[in-house]
Amino acid sequence: MKYKSQAVAKLYFTAAIGLFVGQILFGLIMGLQYVAGDFLFPEIPFNVARMVHTNLLIVWLLFGFMGSAYYLVPEESERELFSPMLAKLMFWVFLVAGALTILGYLLVPYATLADITMNDLLPTMGREFLEQPTITKLGIVVVALAFLYNIGMTILTGRKTVINLVLITGLIGLAVFFLFSFYNPDNLVMDKYFWWWVVHLWVEGVWELILGAILAFVLIKITGVDREIIEKWLYIIIAMTLITGIIGTGHHFFWIGTPDYWQWLGSVFSAMEPIPFFMMTLFAFNMVNKRRREHPNKAATLWALGTAVMAFLGAGVWGFLHTLAPVNYYTHGTQITAAHGHMAFYGAYVMVVLTMISYAMPIMRGNKANNERAQVLEMWSFWFMTVSMVFITLFLTGAGIMQVYLQRYSDAPIAFMAAQDKIAIFYWMREIAGLVFLVGLVLYVMSFFVKPGVKVNA
Amino acid sequence: MDKTAHSSSDIKTASQAALLSLLNLTLLPIIAFSALLWIYNKTQPGTIARYHAELGIKTNLFAAIALFLVSALMIAFGGFDSAWTWVYVISYFTIVHTTFIIFAVWALVRSWSGEKLNKLM
Ligand code: HEM
Ligand code: HEM
Ligand SMILES: [Fe+2]
Repeated sequence: MKYKSQAVAKLYFTAAIGLFVGQILFGLIMGLQYVAGDFLFPEIPFNVARMVHTNLLIVWLLFGFMGSAYYLVPEESERELFSPMLAKLMFWVFLVAGALTILGYLLVPYATLADITMNDLLPTMGREFLEQPTITKLGIVVVALAFLYNIGMTILTGRKTVINLVLITGLIGLAVFFLFSFYNPDNLVMDKYFWWWVVHLWVEGVWELILGAILAFVLIKITGVDREIIEKWLYIIIAMTLITGIIGTGHHFFWIGTPDYWQWLGSVFSAMEPIPFFMMTLFAFNMVNKRRREHPNKAATLWALGTAVMAFLGAGVWGFLHTLAPVNYYTHGTQITAAHGHMAFYGAYVMVVLTMISYAMPIMRGNKANNERAQVLEMWSFWFMTVSMVFITLFLTGAGIMQVYLQRYSDAPIAFMAAQDKIAIFYWMREIAGLVFLVGLVLYVMSFFVKPGVKVNA
Repeated sequence: MDKTAHSSSDIKTASQAALLSLLNLTLLPIIAFSALLWIYNKTQPGTIARYHAELGIKTNLFAAIALFLVSALMIAFGGFDSAWTWVYVISYFTIVHTTFIIFAVWALVRSWSGEKLNKLM
């Protein structure tokens, strides 16, 4: 570790992994509720488990992004973090606020939570991914501002690199678009319209800049390829992201009451959204092929390549699958959407955070790379989680195709619940794949505790 | 990794061939393949250009069989009007197609540095 303040990242990464475990447990609970409807009812109803699953995902990814920034920015800026104290303080604020929110979801009915948090004053609750009480949202804004101030001051007073600038642009964008979560128009069309300004412009806009910056940083470190080459790629990737992704928001405006022209704009621009993801694959492969050194951290290299491939698969390929209006007409809101949502979130954002953790955590714990046994276990966990996620996606895709056919395409369409009954087999298989995912995650956590073997290398 | 063994024009042709192979799998099917055949005819045996042109042709022929023939067989045996047929065909086609694309990307990256897929082959 070059600067000692980088070590605050360790707190953030540890919390991220802890919440990740929670997220998956709630995913498994819901997966079972899909086939055994009254499992854990009334203690944990499906809608509550869903909220906990998705909110934990977002929160731990934010912990992961912040940790990555705290590790990466000082090293790129060639100076200590502006204020390590502020970073630590905000960590605890965010963790406590997050934990209280999740407990709120679990312990009191959602309507009561809205009451006691005074949602009436500024109603923002009740929308997917943005279910947090208004005060939690305000807390998130405070944490984000303090974070941006801290990172921003470090960058401004230090060496300015392309990676730092792309990263901070992405992070500012993340904060700015989150502000739309406070705008909650009564008109349902307007409500949905601006909801996507948070959700879509995050994952298919500003988060991609964060993804690109983190991936580029790790690739420079593990391959030793010239910064100049990597920076050129990064420029093109983010340019393509913004050119396609901003107007690409239109792929969510096909059927919600917005003007017809969105069917063309949304289809054409979002059909090009796979390009930046494709380029990331090309970029990562190229850098690893041109590598100038054999970095001892094999696991981090695997995660980096895995991110590039799986992001292309989940976002690029599975996104393209249902993004053209004539296709989306049939697939909108089916299990095809869930299939894509899982693989894209995992392949892009889960994996890039795990890439950064894999690279940085050993260094923060005093080694350039983990010992061989720990790395082998970590690589097993990579394959368990990644392969089981491919299967979760395939089973949900199968369920989705069947659902579309039975419920929307066939000459004698059947009702929603009748169709669900006929595809239960896919949900069983999804749950089994989910259990394998959990095994992978347990192996992953264990890999942090593996001691070197007795064998001593010269 | 003896990169000096290949002339830069040879590497350029190899890169073009690898790019055409990728294009045939994605944006420009058939057209890109025709161009690839044309490039193949210009290459000399034993060069890296010939290697990548040949690899591209083989990859695409193999992909055509794996994608179209197998999918057609699935439809023929499964029946056009069966939901299960489409479950298999769409999932199969998507995943296999992507696998070929990822493979072609790796080949392209190798061609850029004037190398074969790996040192032995
Ligand atoms: C890493 C990047 C991405 C992530 C994390 C992601 C995630 C998601 C999620 C979670 C949803 C479901 C939202 C909801 O309705 O609750 C969704 C919907 C959608 N995504 Fe993505 N996505 C990504 C990239 C893409 C790309 C590149 C495309 C197009 C090529 C795409 C096309 C779509 C479409 C068309 C929908 C709407 C599905 C429907 O009509 O039900 N996504 N995405
Ligand atoms: C890192 C791994 C995972 C990620 C990134 C993830 C992400 C997500 C996302 C983004 C959604 C919302 C999807 C949408 O709106 O279309 C979701 C919902 C869901 N997830 Fe996960 N998930 C993961 C693991 C799992 C696992 C292992 C299971 C269970 C086996 C699971 C089961 C579910 C279920 C049942 C839903 C609700 C779908 C619905 O509303 O019908 N997830 N997850
Ligand atoms: Fe989108």
